[in-house]
Amino acid sequence: MIKIENLVGGYTNSPILTDVNLEIHRGEFFALLGPNGSGKTTLFKMITGQLPIQSGNILLSGKEISSYSKLEKAKKVAVLTQEIQVSFDYTVEEIISLGRYPHQKGMLKSLSKEDHYIIEEVMDITKISNFRKTQFRKLSGGEKQRVLLAKALAQEPELLLLDEPTNHLDIKHTFQLLDLLKERQLSKGLTIFSILHDLNVASLYADRFALLHNGTFIEVGDVELLRKEEQLQKVYQVKVNAQSHPTVPKPQLLMTPNYTKIKDKINFTDSYEMTQYENLTHIQFAEPLRTISNGAFGDGIQWLKHFCIASDENLLKKYGIPYEQVGCMASTDNIMVTQNSHMMAVVGEEKGSFNILLFIDGHFSDGELVNGFMALTEGKMQALKNLSMNSTDTQLLAATQQGRKVSAGEIREFVFNVTTEAISRYLQMI
Amino acid sequence: MQNLSIRRLLNNKIVWLYIFSGGLLLCTGLLGLFLSSVTVPVPTILHIVLEKIVGMGWLQEVPKNEEMIIWNIRLPRVVLAFCVGASLALAGAAFQGLLRNPLADPYTIGVSSGASLGAVLVLFFQVSIIGLGSFTLPVVAIISGLITLIVVFGLVQLSSRSLAIETIILAGIIVSSFIGALVSLIISLGDKDVMTQIIYWLYGSVGMRGWEYVQLIIPFMVIGTIILFYHYRELNALALGEDAADHIGVNVKKGKAFILVGASLLTGAAVAVSGSIGFVGLVVPHLVRLVIGPNHRHVLPLSLLTGGTFLILADLLSRTIIAPKELPIGVVTALIGAPVFAFLLIRERMGGRG
Repeated sequence: MIKIENLVGGYTNSPILTDVNLEIHRGEFFALLGPNGSGKTTLFKMITGQLPIQSGNILLSGKEISSYSKLEKAKKVAVLTQEIQVSFDYTVEEIISLGRYPHQKGMLKSLSKEDHYIIEEVMDITKISNFRKTQFRKLSGGEKQRVLLAKALAQEPELLLLDEPTNHLDIKHTFQLLDLLKERQLSKGLTIFSILHDLNVASLYADRFALLHNGTFIEVGDVELLRKEEQLQKVYQVKVNAQSHPTVPKPQLLMTPNYTKIKDKINFTDSYEMTQYENLTHIQFAEPLRTISNGAFGDGIQWLKHFCIASDENLLKKYGIPYEQVGCMASTDNIMVTQNSHMMAVVGEEKGSFNILLFIDGHFSDGELVNGFMALTEGKMQALKNLSMNSTDTQLLAATQQGRKVSAGEIREFVFNVTTEAISRYLQMI
Repeated sequence: MQNLSIRRLLNNKIVWLYIFSGGLLLCTGLLGLFLSSVTVPVPTILHIVLEKIVGMGWLQEVPKNEEMIIWNIRLPRVVLAFCVGASLALAGAAFQGLLRNPLADPYTIGVSSGASLGAVLVLFFQVSIIGLGSFTLPVVAIISGLITLIVVFGLVQLSSRSLAIETIILAGIIVSSFIGALVSLIISLGDKDVMTQIIYWLYGSVGMRGWEYVQLIIPFMVIGTIILFYHYRELNALALGEDAADHIGVNVKKGKAFILVGASLLTGAAVAVSGSIGFVGLVVPHLVRLVIGPNHRHVLPLSLLTGGTFLILADLLSRTIIAPKELPIGVVTALIGAPVFAFLLIRERMGGRG
């Protein structure tokens, strides 16, 4: 669709872009990434012809882009930028009909039947038919952007250039707009070339990516480009962690701010409060802990502050424990607490099965957390095996993320001892 | 179904507005011919006008003096008032659209000052070019208006390749104020008679001009109008800003140049034949927009009709209020225009457009 070869250009004196090569295929959604000032908009302006090309070529459908007349180009390429100011009180429909400009023929240049048909169609797609007679300036930001998209689509372009189209939209309108575009790409084979600021949004919508830095491409490739933490860190100078989206097989980036809260090291044994209610044991820490759990609440890997063992989840509400910040498991009030200098275990027993909450004063990466969880299970199973019992219940491991690392062996041993003791108490009881 | 009927209703509304404006223009024109110190009956007026234009009179005998008054004095005055008002309003609408500035008017760009300077020079030196006679003043005014347009254009071209709007406005202001100073200088140098003459000319008037002046303005008016009507879509597109207009395929630079030339031709010619009559070019396009919306497809023709009507009416008032003396027409345009504009603005605020 569009091919850029050895492109150099920008503002007159010093070129902003140097040696840019890129090919965008028909029907793909291509995202141009890069920090402010890296030359993204310059590249766009060179494609639209607002800035001169100093050397190199831009080919549109195999033809030099400067050989197109303005009208011919407008039939192939439409542009949607950040919100624009419209002078005078034009209505939505009047704005959209401007998109038919390159297609109008004849001396009178009035709107033909076909023009009207297409205007109706794009208003339907972008869901703005209802306010066709409304003045543009009275619309909200998200609606305005949809109107401008409709205008761009009314040009019936093959290529749509988007310059940060969702810049000041909230997430609702951002996703609405991009869903519309994606739909159009998939159903009509529209080629989309977009500058996007939000890397996570780009990851979800674009097919291919280019990372621009100081006027040259660092990398052009598929979504895996967004997993290269070091490269992104170098370009954006922000600490990023690539993670996977929980339901879509795409990476999502988590940014870590440069400022850090200065924390005094907390004495583990003083850092929590344990309260026993009827049928509920509540443990509250001053700071959130990194947890891994398969419990009823707070499963997976999270940051949690409240932990409890309760026979009924409605009890949480009764005692005012926040649902969203709790790691919880079901058990009776048969509770045993064991503690040493850096580990604390709470074991709840119910009909011969044992639920364990294990709190550790130590630092764990996510991988180490999984290892720790496995060690917990192993320790517990070993204790149960020695006593020829069987239990497949829930457990939780929580770490303070301060101090030293705690080895799997330590955990296994501690849990083994704790479980053994809990079993023997249980056996005494029955 | 509902959409279709709404659109039909709207189309009807637009058609009716054109019919209303046209009818109003004819009535006002007829009123302008009818009302004066000597009363000629309406059928006689219609007879004279039709007889002279298409040779279709039905009355046997018409007094010669009545024919003289209607054909040689009142009709050219009414037609000239129409031409000037129409040109100024159309130019105003185009300048406001082009410069995306509701405060722009035909005088923003400086062409009118140039035309004024030419006229003032003729009055000051009391020259008359051989073969032109009393016709010297408007011809010189038009030529100096065109020279000013070239100067403004040159200034804009030199300072901004893309004809940026800010540059156009600034160049217009620079040229206008420079020429304004020259005009003041000339006035202060002249004796009392010349001074009065100049000031009266600057106030503006469409009286005592005759058919020659109409003939002078018409070619410019026709060319200017055609140019502007042809570019109505570019004017609409420019409302989105120049970049966005470029993106939908408008040749922005060429479009701007054409609109500038068309509107300047209209302004220069209007000022040359009548002096600088204010307010029409500023307010009439706003009135039209309040009623019909900003689409230049309708704003331009309706501004033309309404501007013409408005100036015929203003001229009528200027010569009847304190007859036999005349008020300067510019005073009248502002005296009627400002309250009407204020009223419409308030109504718009209360009830919304349409």
